[in-house]
Amino acid sequence: MLLLVLLVSAGAAKAEAQMEYYGRLGAVGTGILLRDVIVEEITVRPSIAPMLALGASLPIGPRGYRVGLEGALASAKFHSSEDGTDTDLGTLRTGTLLLNLEGPLHRSFRWRVGLGGLKYWPSDKDGIFRQGAPVRLLAGAGLDYRRPVLSKWDLLTSLRYDFHRFTTEELKDRGFSQTQGVSRVSLSVGLSRSIR
Amino acid sequence: MNRYARWTIAGLIVAAAACGDIATPIRIDFYEWRLIVPSTTGPGNDSLTFHWPRSRLPVRIWVEDAANLPANVPSAIAAWRTAYLYDEFDAAVVSDSSTADVIVRAGAAPGIQFSRVRLPSAMATECEGATDLDISDDHTELRLPVRMYIDPRSDPAAPGLAACLALTTTHEMGHVLGIWSHSAVATDIMFAEETVTAPSERDLETAEVIYHVPANIQIVDRDGGEVPLE
Repeated sequence: MLLLVLLVSAGAAKAEAQMEYYGRLGAVGTGILLRDVIVEEITVRPSIAPMLALGASLPIGPRGYRVGLEGALASAKFHSSEDGTDTDLGTLRTGTLLLNLEGPLHRSFRWRVGLGGLKYWPSDKDGIFRQGAPVRLLAGAGLDYRRPVLSKWDLLTSLRYDFHRFTTEELKDRGFSQTQGVSRVSLSVGLSRSIR
Repeated sequence: MNRYARWTIAGLIVAAAACGDIATPIRIDFYEWRLIVPSTTGPGNDSLTFHWPRSRLPVRIWVEDAANLPANVPSAIAAWRTAYLYDEFDAAVVSDSSTADVIVRAGAAPGIQFSRVRLPSAMATECEGATDLDISDDHTELRLPVRMYIDPRSDPAAPGLAACLALTTTHEMGHVLGIWSHSAVATDIMFAEETVTAPSERDLETAEVIYHVPANIQIVDRDGGEVPLE
């Protein structure tokens, strides 16, 4: 955000004119957060979560590249599964902040890659989150498709993938070592102020 | 290195970072929790293992307002809850004793004729406890309620009584959640003559494992309704 503020303040009116804003609504699916074995295998994963993302970007250079910040919130139930039985473990919210680099790909398609952080907010400070919820480093990539709908607005369809490595203080205290690779995929649609 | 090779290498690095699982601890530091009783079908022993089914959680506990039980019982529940990562066990204090799954009273346990199985009392100096289980003759059913007794057998002003009541309540709560035997290690709160004030890692690991092995005792409600085994 600081970078974006600096860029805007440096370029003032010109930068503001070139700034793209967007908002997206969609759903995010998350892979397994935790794989444990007590007697049978136990897995923990969130359900598919509705998500809201807001972002902004500025051009860098003449070849269509842009740099931007994007924040997203998602909220879903999460559950453990053991021997075919699911147990509701409450609600798990996530917030992500990504610094993105994006560029043109083909016609209305654009690519993007990003680095940032992901914060977990469980509804209950209990179980695997008994000692709190972590902030994890997040890396992501995605594909955007834009279709003009109004003079200054595009319909934005986004397919995103990101991953991070998951653990918590409670898990570390219990003797879990290393971390779990967690992949997330989201599909969303939204409106973007035109960058044409 | 050409462009495709660079992208391939980058892709492989990303894939390697994204893959890989957390390494699970091996739970081997637990003790015998089952109740070993003479078999009803012939020579030898029967081993009874029990945990509260998820459909009955939170376990409803009625607590008498005496012997510091209203404070000690929630503390005991919280102490045992730390064993669980996946909401395997929970309990809540309720106001209506007629619908409770567990009745906790202050005072000495009544005669043994009341119940078929009494888990041996904790024998701290200033107080003692007992947990009574009404188990059917064929060892297949646990009739509710489970009854727990905490007896402050010394002078109410005796030094150490408050600590004794607290640790004995935690010990008996261990029986309530399914540890139906005593530990042979003095540093465990489920040791018969417990002295420690909180569940040890062995206690917690035992409590955790119990909820991941099949029970062979089925709950029967006060109205005779059976709660299926998991």
